[in-house]
Amino acid sequence: MLNVRVYLCVALFVLSAEIAAAQRETVYMAILSSFRPAQNPDAGPALGLFVSTDRGSTWQGRGWREYIRTFYCEEGSDGTIWSACGNGVLRSTDNGRRWRVTTGWEVTEVLKVKVAESDPSLVFASTAYGIFRTTDGGETWEKKTGGMRRGFSGDVCIDRADPSRILAATEEGVYLSEDRGEQWTERGLAGKGVRVIVQDPHDAKRFWLGTEEDGVYCSSDGGRHWERESRGLDRSAVYTIALHPRNHDWIYVGTYGRGVFQSTDGGGHWEERSRGLTDREVHSLVVLPSDPRVVLAGTLHRGLFRSTDGGGTWVHLTHDSSQVWGLSVRSTLSR
Amino acid sequence: MKTLFFFLLLLIAADSLYATSGDSAFVSRQRRLLEILSREPLSLPALAGRFAAGRDLPGAVAAFDSMGRDRRFVGAFHGYALIGVYLRFRSILPDSLHRMVREIFRSRGLYRGDTENHWVMYYTGMYLAAQTWPHESGTEWFNGRSSEENFREAEGWLNHWITLSTTIGQGEFDSPTYMPVFLAPMLLLFDFAADPAMRTKAQMMCDLLLADFAVENLRGCYGGGHSRDYPPDIINPLIAQTTRVSWLYFGEPATEIWENPEYEPRVRSSWEIVWGALSGYHPPEMIVHIATDRSLPYVHRERKRVRNVIRFGDELNPPVYKYTYMTEDYVLGSLQGGILQPFQQHTWDVTYVSTRPYNTIFTVHPSWSSRELGMFFPEELNVLAEDVDRYKLVYTSPDKWNSSSPYEQTFQHNNVLIVLYNIAPGAKLPHIDGFFPKTLEQRTVDSTGWIFCRGGNAAIAIFPLKPYEWIEEEKNWRLRSHHLRNGLVVEVGSVRSTGDYAQFIRTMRQRRPEAGDFDRTMTVSYASIAGDVMTFTYDGPRILNGTAVDLTKTRFYDGPFMSSEVGSGVIELRYGGRVRVLDFQQGKVIER
Repeated sequence: MLNVRVYLCVALFVLSAEIAAAQRETVYMAILSSFRPAQNPDAGPALGLFVSTDRGSTWQGRGWREYIRTFYCEEGSDGTIWSACGNGVLRSTDNGRRWRVTTGWEVTEVLKVKVAESDPSLVFASTAYGIFRTTDGGETWEKKTGGMRRGFSGDVCIDRADPSRILAATEEGVYLSEDRGEQWTERGLAGKGVRVIVQDPHDAKRFWLGTEEDGVYCSSDGGRHWERESRGLDRSAVYTIALHPRNHDWIYVGTYGRGVFQSTDGGGHWEERSRGLTDREVHSLVVLPSDPRVVLAGTLHRGLFRSTDGGGTWVHLTHDSSQVWGLSVRSTLSR
Repeated sequence: MKTLFFFLLLLIAADSLYATSGDSAFVSRQRRLLEILSREPLSLPALAGRFAAGRDLPGAVAAFDSMGRDRRFVGAFHGYALIGVYLRFRSILPDSLHRMVREIFRSRGLYRGDTENHWVMYYTGMYLAAQTWPHESGTEWFNGRSSEENFREAEGWLNHWITLSTTIGQGEFDSPTYMPVFLAPMLLLFDFAADPAMRTKAQMMCDLLLADFAVENLRGCYGGGHSRDYPPDIINPLIAQTTRVSWLYFGEPATEIWENPEYEPRVRSSWEIVWGALSGYHPPEMIVHIATDRSLPYVHRERKRVRNVIRFGDELNPPVYKYTYMTEDYVLGSLQGGILQPFQQHTWDVTYVSTRPYNTIFTVHPSWSSRELGMFFPEELNVLAEDVDRYKLVYTSPDKWNSSSPYEQTFQHNNVLIVLYNIAPGAKLPHIDGFFPKTLEQRTVDSTGWIFCRGGNAAIAIFPLKPYEWIEEEKNWRLRSHHLRNGLVVEVGSVRSTGDYAQFIRTMRQRRPEAGDFDRTMTVSYASIAGDVMTFTYDGPRILNGTAVDLTKTRFYDGPFMSSEVGSGVIELRYGGRVRVLDFQQGKVIER
């Protein structure tokens, strides 16, 4: 009887651990810099990579605690964490305990790093000097800018339905590659600075992009053609876009100087959603798949804010006087 | 007893640094510098000075330990200096400090930086650290890369930088602030690189950096155009860090001028020159002569490169054309104008020998734009201006003294310079400013339109093309003109007496720049005292005595003391019939 109880306990423990793992939701926050000098550097990191597993309530530093210009971090489907930094592309395979700079001196000013959902060894890095690609999990990198007139790229988006299709945000519009980055073709917004591209979680053909000074654009044909969707947004600088995981037409954008805007009609109209947001310069946004009422906004002066009512009101959470440059979320619930 | 023995060893080791030194004047300045540094507030360079001077060694050991434990002790500036102190004094450091230094490279994230000087420091530090601790796996390094990977990466970039610098020039060229932090890493490589080829290249880079400075050095002042400079250093040239370099290597100024409150350095604690005091590298005598012999006037031209243009440009490193006219009394130098560097550019000046501070005159269009910053930095345009203003304080100020303006162009021939401005309507700061120090012996506005100034033995005539006003400030008069299409003509002469100066003024009154219909043509023509006729059109040709000057033909170095072709990697230094060839292609020095 005792043995049965022990076996039962073990089975329950294993089951609960598997459930917990299956429902794991981790938010990654990249703090680029802090305006408040560290009074006691031994107390803990003030910038770099921070991780939360409780919807942003608490955060733990996971990357280098020193300043290396951490722009963005993302977890691949195999659990590898990638970090886009001034020092290059960093990789951790042990949940952020140890890191390896996977790139050499040729790769610097890395603004984004994006991992293919279906193939975690396929990773693209957007940098000030062009787009770089690894197909072996960061062991080797190659510059991939064929067909681009200039190299600067602020973001890439790997099509989850077809990872050979990559969209790139560049200083001169949006580029599309249909052969995993070998060759690129300009696909609109010529001459406009594009900073961010995201794929719609509901419709793999639909992509959204944000520009330096011309609001938001949408493509419904896989990035081939783009339409401006900025009524109410005008020509705002849009640095981040987050899509609601359940409501097909709900989109959030973060702007420079105008706070957060939301559209509930697929981009047809935009309304400001900045109540309580004491810093209107929003550089990063995520909507949590586990509870889409929870939206996190990273700002350029006052750290991280959270809304628990879908952007209706915001409360300051943490890292005041810091630049929250990047936010990303890895959630098994989203799959 | 053991402690006593340890510190005795420390003293002997410190003293032995100089046992084999040759050049007595240079060596005595090296010693003097270490003596000074040993009394400075503690920083890594001061610590090196204290170790070397053998002053308060227990305190120095404790301070090194304390600095090493401070987690703020990171980044390119610290990494190379840390390994520098360690390699220089490791034989006398206690085991605990050996472990501490090793641990820093194991566990502390060292930032590579985002400028050329950061990278030179960072990769020098990594090169020497990887050489010091070879055959170790990635787990023993902060960046997860093995000793061999770190070494190869550092060596690869340093070679890349040396090649760039010796074929198309530095991006952060001729900076009175940052030149010492290019020199210091090369000194460390010269002293400590195990690879003879790297040691030789480092020695050659030391020669080149010093010679490059020497040709534009006038009694410790770095004259002419600069890539990166800070306003206090621009308006008072002898407070710049390069003045200490000139003092140590060239013996000019002869005194430790930074002790004079009027020449208090902007950052007194920046003592990177300590590595020059500790190094076995001694400047070739030829370079000292190049830096100090001003017996004959000369023109020196050179080509540099723009810092990496990452946006809004098709060329990563467009050329910079630099022109310098040097005499024993003054130096007049200029860059061709335009945006060549982000926010800290100094396009032109006339700097004169004087016993008074603020011995320089120049003009500037105080431009700023997010687009300019976006050319060089990756962040979003809106963010950039805000950030740079935060860190560099003056970027958006209408009164700033450093600026890269897209609306400024120059044309220089010998002692004459024409500067034109074509400020776009709607530009944020639509005025130009001129710096005229109150320390000038004379400054008069003549009825002919010329402004005549005397500073030391330099007579400076400036003809503003458009009306202006004077604004009195603490150290200077500010010439401000609000006309968008604007410019000035500058002619400089040497005078030995009041009579000479009066004669200079009389002569200048006979000349007047031709600028008829300037607002439409943006063309100025001027005949100098020497009889040269210069005609310059904004965005148009620079014509000297009827012949168009083609800046694109500017050689890499072109003057009596330095000669090189763009892309050759072979640079000749010349003085007194002797030639020293720095052949970076073959990695060797040839003396003829």
